[in-house]
Amino acid sequence: MLIGAVFSALSGWLLSALLLGAGTPKAPAPKAETNEPAWPALAESAPKVASYTIEAKLDSERHRITGHETIHFVNRSSAALSELWFHLYLNAFKNDKTLFLRSPFGAGRSGDKAKEYGYVDVKKLTMRGGDGRDLWATRDRHSPNDPDDETDLRVPLPSPLEPGAELTLELEFEDQLPELVERTGFVGSYHFVGQWFPKLSRLEPNGSFAHFSFHAQSEFYADFGDYDVTLDVPSTFRVGATGSRVREVRAQGRTQLGYHAENVHDFAWTAWDKFETRSERIAGTEVRVLYPPHQERNAEAELASVRFALPHFNARYGAYPYPTLTLVHPPEAAANSGGMEYPTLITTGGPWYSTFGGAHVIDVVTTHELGHQWFYGLLASNEHAEPYLDEGFNSYAEAEALEARYGAGSVFGGFGLSVSSSALNRLFSAARGGDEKVNQGAADFATFRSLGALVYSRTATVLGTLARVYGSERFNHALGVYTRKFRFQHPTTADFMSVMQNELDSRAVTALTLAFSERATVDYLVREISNAPISAAAGVFDGPSGREQRKPEAPHEAAEYTSRVVVYRHGTLQLPVEIELGFEDGTKQLRHWDGSGFTFNVDNVGPSRLVSVNVDPQQRILLDDDRSNNWLSTQASSAPHVREHALYAGQILLGAFGP
Amino acid sequence: MTERAEPRLMGWSTSAAAAVLLWISRTVLALLASYPLLLAVRASMMTAGPEGDAVLFQPGALLLLELLRVGGPWLASATELSLLLLGLAAIFELIPLAVALDLLSAGDRPLLQRAASALRLFPRFLALGLITLLAQAALLLAASLLGAALKPMLASADERLQSLAPIALFSVGLLACGWFGGALDIARATLVRSNLARGGARAALAQAVDCLRQRPLRVLLGVYPSIAGSALAVLAATWFLARFVPTQATGRALALGFAAHQLAMLFAIVWRVRWLGTALELSAESD
Repeated sequence: MLIGAVFSALSGWLLSALLLGAGTPKAPAPKAETNEPAWPALAESAPKVASYTIEAKLDSERHRITGHETIHFVNRSSAALSELWFHLYLNAFKNDKTLFLRSPFGAGRSGDKAKEYGYVDVKKLTMRGGDGRDLWATRDRHSPNDPDDETDLRVPLPSPLEPGAELTLELEFEDQLPELVERTGFVGSYHFVGQWFPKLSRLEPNGSFAHFSFHAQSEFYADFGDYDVTLDVPSTFRVGATGSRVREVRAQGRTQLGYHAENVHDFAWTAWDKFETRSERIAGTEVRVLYPPHQERNAEAELASVRFALPHFNARYGAYPYPTLTLVHPPEAAANSGGMEYPTLITTGGPWYSTFGGAHVIDVVTTHELGHQWFYGLLASNEHAEPYLDEGFNSYAEAEALEARYGAGSVFGGFGLSVSSSALNRLFSAARGGDEKVNQGAADFATFRSLGALVYSRTATVLGTLARVYGSERFNHALGVYTRKFRFQHPTTADFMSVMQNELDSRAVTALTLAFSERATVDYLVREISNAPISAAAGVFDGPSGREQRKPEAPHEAAEYTSRVVVYRHGTLQLPVEIELGFEDGTKQLRHWDGSGFTFNVDNVGPSRLVSVNVDPQQRILLDDDRSNNWLSTQASSAPHVREHALYAGQILLGAFGP
Repeated sequence: MTERAEPRLMGWSTSAAAAVLLWISRTVLALLASYPLLLAVRASMMTAGPEGDAVLFQPGALLLLELLRVGGPWLASATELSLLLLGLAAIFELIPLAVALDLLSAGDRPLLQRAASALRLFPRFLALGLITLLAQAALLLAASLLGAALKPMLASADERLQSLAPIALFSVGLLACGWFGGALDIARATLVRSNLARGGARAALAQAVDCLRQRPLRVLLGVYPSIAGSALAVLAATWFLARFVPTQATGRALALGFAAHQLAMLFAIVWRVRWLGTALELSAESD
């Protein structure tokens, strides 16, 4: 609507002016002239580096997979390659001495140890068109500098692969799935199969491979390609997988299912003989939910989340480009495989009663994992080196979508209480900004709890603060430009900052850099309010007519007061903030501080005493470390609402447990 | 046998007097017990702003969660103290309860006389309460252990059954606790009626157990509606406030919240007084 567009343009300009202080306001963005935002053109496909064709057969009794794999690899780097690096993620569960499992404290998301171990054995690796030599025999026996780990192995090439040259590799492998530790494995007849096949590390443009051992705190990083996978499973099993099902052949109690996915960087699948399914076409995408028996309510809640979030994300971050989306709700006993993202396949989770009560458990997990189709799927950043670029940005996207859907009660709404995603992210991240850098490798975080607070919650809180300071429309547009510009690419922090520089300004980039890379924090606070009546000066004065002695005026109600409050800024983040002044006569004033300097004197002369001050009354600075020192009032509060609630709670407890 | 107060038909006035007495005592005791919590909230400075504690009830709960974060240690200590005070209040509330039972059972007597009688009964009331509490705790523990033992047996069963079976067991335990509570009230009624004339807590408890054996259905039909009525009143108040009162903490919301909560409390107490009258009748019938 026109009024909305004008208001949006005006508010954007005003905020820009405020942020720049006395500087020249930025020229209005072109988007202000039309209703349609100006977006970069969307890439239709990824530059394909590693494409896989896999035939895999599941032995559901022994939980084994035998596979044949063909990798078509293109050297799109600028250097000749003399080696390849393979990720054998499944070896993380081989024994208790692997990097993944050896922490005595239990690491990773679940913190669980393995009960039955898993591994991947590569039987043979040959080069098509070569001399038939088994290249696997020449591999390094363990991950670099780690004799106990076999998740990151180097294979020398018999001859250098020049830039632009192609290579086809053939592999025979066998997986033993672990009892579900985290994401991957089996529980009873339920199988979730992720990170299961020998996979090439991501080839960087300079010819180096971004390879790393599988750490419990880390996720993944891979090149785009096409996947053609045939899964051979018992016919009683229902299967969900990355991509579209393109063929199905049944014979002798087994079913062969063919899946095809283009422009993706991983392939995961699940098979269980108890899955129920539901399908629906949403925003042009065929959405299929696989869920345990009697969980129709959860399945419906998941579809409802996709019905809202898929069009929402399409509009925010560019259209979802794949024809299918599969949601897997694991059984309760396999909850560790829930809450995970793969290209075109996400896992959700939650007990059967998740939809009862006011908590939006299913919506939160479904919306979060769906968001990963952009922040991980289409923007395939290095999750090992810069995990905040996907998990953190996606946490912001999740919160933004949930608040658009549910308002203030986006996490919980019921019994007269509403809890928002932003509030929860702030709770988890507040006062942890000084602990560690947000922008560091996943394995570098001291604990997974620290990673969770900083990578997920603090990143979302930083972005949420920027959205509130710059205006959500303007900030979300900037984020939308980033997601469109780097679609089907592997963006880094520098790429994100370049977009923020263009779409917002250098102050935003400074704030983001400090917050993500320098452990910067901010805390606005006030300590006292001062008032003084304005009266004529008293004393001895020498004037043209001689010496004059003026006596102090008799005490009376002053006609005017001068008032002052000093606002302090702790920390190194400079963010503009509003200050609300309240006067004895009930009037209020709003003052603005651009955040520069460490103190800001707010002075006023007026007919009424200053009785209260509230820094950031709109709660824009979600990053403010401590909000309890943001205000002062000379009129003490008796906390009547708390008193009433406490009284009632006491009465109920006495009634329930008393005589 | 000395003077024996026969149960009489409860008049509106005595029932109302008993209900008001219980409501006042519960309100005063709850106010006292919740005071440390209130002080902790105020000490957190989260209510020191121009809007006072209204900010804690804003939609989204940003500042409510901030209170939990910055005031967490104080709030935890204050909650412990408040719970301790609630425990003491529960013990002290035995006195107004005894007076209420006396009001419902005896004819006209000066209030001071009733209070003196309640004070004399206090040790026996306390002993009965402790015995019942122990029995209820044992019952709930048994239900929990049984639920835990059932879990492996249900490993291959439907997920709903796996989670509902322990809850169902615990609920049965809670229902049985209510039944025990009913017996406790009958024993208290017996003590009040006999006014210490016929032995102590043990005799009263024996009579209550007899009553349970002889009239189990009447006890059930008396005590469970009282519990259900109280729960219903609390749920109705919660529903009303969630449905009709804005989440913003305004003066109107405060007034409506107080009114709804206290109406629910009064309603629950009226149900309790009604049951206490029935307990007196059951006690008399078991003589």
